[in-house]
Amino acid sequence: MDALISDIKRFAVHDGDGIRTTLFLKGCTLRCVWCHNPEGISARPELAYYAERCLQCGVCAEVCPNGVHEFSDKGHALNRDLCLGCGKCEEECLGNALKLYGRKMDVDMLFPVLLEDEDFFRNSGGGVTVSGGEPLLHAEFVRELFEKLKKHSVNTAVDTCGHVPWDAFERVLPVTDLFLYDIKHIDSAMHKQLTGMGNERILENLQRLSECNKRIEIRMPFVPGCNSDDDTLHGIGAFLGKLNIERMRVLPYHDLARGKYAALNLIDTMPQVEAPTDELLAHAVEILHSHGVQAFSGRE
Amino acid sequence: MAYIHESDRQYILGKYHKLDGTFDSHNRFIRNDEYFDSSTGMDGDALVANLLLQDEQIAGQPHAIRKAKAFAYVLKHTRINCDAHDRFPHINAMDRPINKALIKRWKAEVLDEIIPEVGQKRRCMEKDGVATIWPDFDHIVPDWDRVFELGFSGLLHESEQAKNLLSQTHDLSETEIAFFDSVAISYQAIFDLIRRLANQAGKVSGCMRMSAALERLIDHAPQTFYEALLLDYLLFILCEHIEGIQVRSLGNLDRLLYPLYKRDLEYGVSKEELCTDLAHFFMQFTAIGNYWNQPVYLGGCKADGTTEINPFSYVFLDVHNALGIYNPKIQIKVASNTPKDFLLKALDMIRHGNNSIVFVSDALLRRALMNAGASEEDARTCNVKGCYEYNINGGLDTGMNYVNFMKPLEYCLHEGCDGVTGKQSGLPCCRVEEYASFEQLFKEYKRQLLYMLDEVMDVVNRIEDYLEYINPQPVMSSTYITCLQHGKDCMCGGAKSNESNMACGFLADVADSLTIIYKYVFEQKRITLRELVTALDANFDGYEQLRLRLSNDRDKYGNNRELPDRIAKEIIDTSSSYVMGKPNARIRAGKWTCGYHVARMSYTQGKLTAASANGRRLGDELSKNVSASMGKNREGATAAILSATKLNADQFVGDAALDLGLLPSAVKGKDGLEAMYALLMTFINRGGQAMQINVFDADTLRKAQREPEKYQDLQIRVCGWNVLWNNIAKEEQDGFIRQAESLV
Repeated sequence: MDALISDIKRFAVHDGDGIRTTLFLKGCTLRCVWCHNPEGISARPELAYYAERCLQCGVCAEVCPNGVHEFSDKGHALNRDLCLGCGKCEEECLGNALKLYGRKMDVDMLFPVLLEDEDFFRNSGGGVTVSGGEPLLHAEFVRELFEKLKKHSVNTAVDTCGHVPWDAFERVLPVTDLFLYDIKHIDSAMHKQLTGMGNERILENLQRLSECNKRIEIRMPFVPGCNSDDDTLHGIGAFLGKLNIERMRVLPYHDLARGKYAALNLIDTMPQVEAPTDELLAHAVEILHSHGVQAFSGRE
Repeated sequence: MAYIHESDRQYILGKYHKLDGTFDSHNRFIRNDEYFDSSTGMDGDALVANLLLQDEQIAGQPHAIRKAKAFAYVLKHTRINCDAHDRFPHINAMDRPINKALIKRWKAEVLDEIIPEVGQKRRCMEKDGVATIWPDFDHIVPDWDRVFELGFSGLLHESEQAKNLLSQTHDLSETEIAFFDSVAISYQAIFDLIRRLANQAGKVSGCMRMSAALERLIDHAPQTFYEALLLDYLLFILCEHIEGIQVRSLGNLDRLLYPLYKRDLEYGVSKEELCTDLAHFFMQFTAIGNYWNQPVYLGGCKADGTTEINPFSYVFLDVHNALGIYNPKIQIKVASNTPKDFLLKALDMIRHGNNSIVFVSDALLRRALMNAGASEEDARTCNVKGCYEYNINGGLDTGMNYVNFMKPLEYCLHEGCDGVTGKQSGLPCCRVEEYASFEQLFKEYKRQLLYMLDEVMDVVNRIEDYLEYINPQPVMSSTYITCLQHGKDCMCGGAKSNESNMACGFLADVADSLTIIYKYVFEQKRITLRELVTALDANFDGYEQLRLRLSNDRDKYGNNRELPDRIAKEIIDTSSSYVMGKPNARIRAGKWTCGYHVARMSYTQGKLTAASANGRRLGDELSKNVSASMGKNREGATAAILSATKLNADQFVGDAALDLGLLPSAVKGKDGLEAMYALLMTFINRGGQAMQINVFDADTLRKAQREPEKYQDLQIRVCGWNVLWNNIAKEEQDGFIRQAESLV
């Protein structure tokens, strides 16, 4: 079985236990305004073009079978609609200006790549994390992959937004060691405004998941002006405090991904706000602690 | 906790060189004559002049005697000082008067008059960037165990005993007599100097403790922690700055000092007091400011297999960290049972910018030494020295040559000629059109490589016959029991082992270049070898697209890619199996060993190395040690480790260090620290030899380049030592920025 892979990151240190290799799958059920992996949203292959690196050499136009790249007096233009995601232009690009997000890969192809760092997994308690996008859109693929990894005693983790049918969780439950579960807002209307969807299903799935005796780390993108107010934090804390949660990582917002929106020709939705200060983060962590949640700052 | 008063710190910093002028730490000769009371002796210039006069009077005597008498002269007449701000005395010999007066002259005599043809060849090799060769007095470790156990008087006593024993077996030869006499003359001078220092200290209020400790060191082995530090420091100054030989380790100091540290504590000396002694000791080396940094090592294993890490090891790191210094530099011998919390402490220092630390694998060192014939005990107790080199204790192993592995490739592609000068420096070989396969080319590379190694070994062997002639070492030799037993200087075969180490450079650039030729010329046939060589000869002018393609190609060593890693390993196997065990200089009667070590040669020889098939231009920096080419470790830390640990570093006795760059964001928090630990232990478990880490990001480095005044404390690990960021050239800074940019 295959899936559309947007990227593979080795030596991922903050995506679960130990040293991990994180597999990013394409396609997402939410549209979070602050999304820092916008290349994961669409379920189609996407070509990112970093104009400042382009040498205007025209090699991409020569190798592209579909006429995506056009060079004129105005420089390098892309007809993205024509791109079928073969990746030839990326391979040949001399300035590293092109990057293809979305290559079809099956479990057998991925397996040796994911296992390259097996020694590091073993020495650190690490393993493989699937992220995205929303990896549980590919629940069957994840299950097949994790079953194979489990046979090699590799630790497995799913990084999910939770907005998928419960059935998707059920499929991966037996082969997943850790869930990294996003909580973005406690108020459904606000959640809808910020992510495009209400949070009912997310909260319900989390409740059910916490009854399954699985390790859960909550991850909260902490975005000033969006979900940083005390009421929201108290609301989230109160909800999580009743659940069987191992820890909660409060991830400070940053806008390092802004360049990716331009490169992918996407509308930049990222909030124009500063990264939260250490004090603000500490305050948030304190509120969550007051509800018995083992929260900590992602900067630590 | 500061461990030292700021005024004391400033005093020591100004002790060895003036703080207001420009200090060139790379040129290690340091003057600060004004610092001393002129009534205590002569200034540096007068010393040198008088040494020359004295030496003229005794010109017919053996060099050992002439050297010992020069040593005695300096100790008697040089200026000294003691100050209440400082717990260590000061001896004005930092600019190495004996080097100036005698050693330089004797060296020139050998290279220009006795074996001029060898001297000429050596100059040529250096000028062409083929090999940098010099008579090596820079990689020596005294037998610190004997020094600490016996003290100066005990060492002299053993020398006298050895002389008696030897004379019972045969009539001592003139050389043997000269050797023992040189030891006796040197030690008499040492006792007189220490007495002079003790008297001087006695005159200064606040220096009574120093005075009393110095007094005791005349007749005793060190009885307290402070006395041991004083002894260590004195022997360092005596050997390095007066006798003229680099002391490339202050010893396995946590193991050596712990018994005295513990006893002092039991006798009621406060920990703070001992830490202040240690801080003053460290600050001497910070202030001396040796460019390559002063090494000292920690850890290892005891004979029963348990760790040598003790409570003092932690104190050692704490004090070093609190001072925020990078000199002395620290090597840690890591075994599987080295306490995790100790290593986490060191790793935490590194990620916070105090990264003057390298981890060296205890198990690998042992295996490599035992594979080369060392006993289990010698292998266990081996010294780590210099950057991350190692040798058995009591051995004197030189490392006097850096060899450019890129040159044989230039010869292959230019019918035996140098790619820059066009000179016929290699073996004549075929035209590039005549290589029918990659295998044929690779075979030719190996033939050219072995020829170059032979040439280098020949030059080194012939020079090393004269090491003792150029620079006999009575004091250093007296620390080695075998020198005493054989009545022989350590420079001419008296030590327990007498090896010469070949430092081979630029593994990654060679492997990457050969990989490109394999893929583009022979496998994919995208370009002919002639076309490639034409582009290289043009230094890629007019071939920028080709250069970028070759440079971008992802099959680069250091990324766990099959092809380049296999080629790298084959180059190591070929060179190390050829060099290991070959006889070295006749007089030293030792063997050759082989390591993969570049020091600053990645810049200096890089300037003399032609454009290469991996997309590197003429003159660009070359790769370091067994690390990927600068900026080419695209697959990150784990892949770099996987590549470096394929190289079978236990098949040769020499270093194979990995230079790792990590992003601050990757190593933040508890997760990050644990990840660093796992990287280190995976490296060690997989058979890596040494690993050093820079934690940096390109943005910060770029900012530091733009606004140097805001980054005056920023230190960077160059290649086995640290420097301040602001003290390296822009092109060197650019290299690190490129490396940081490639981090993922």
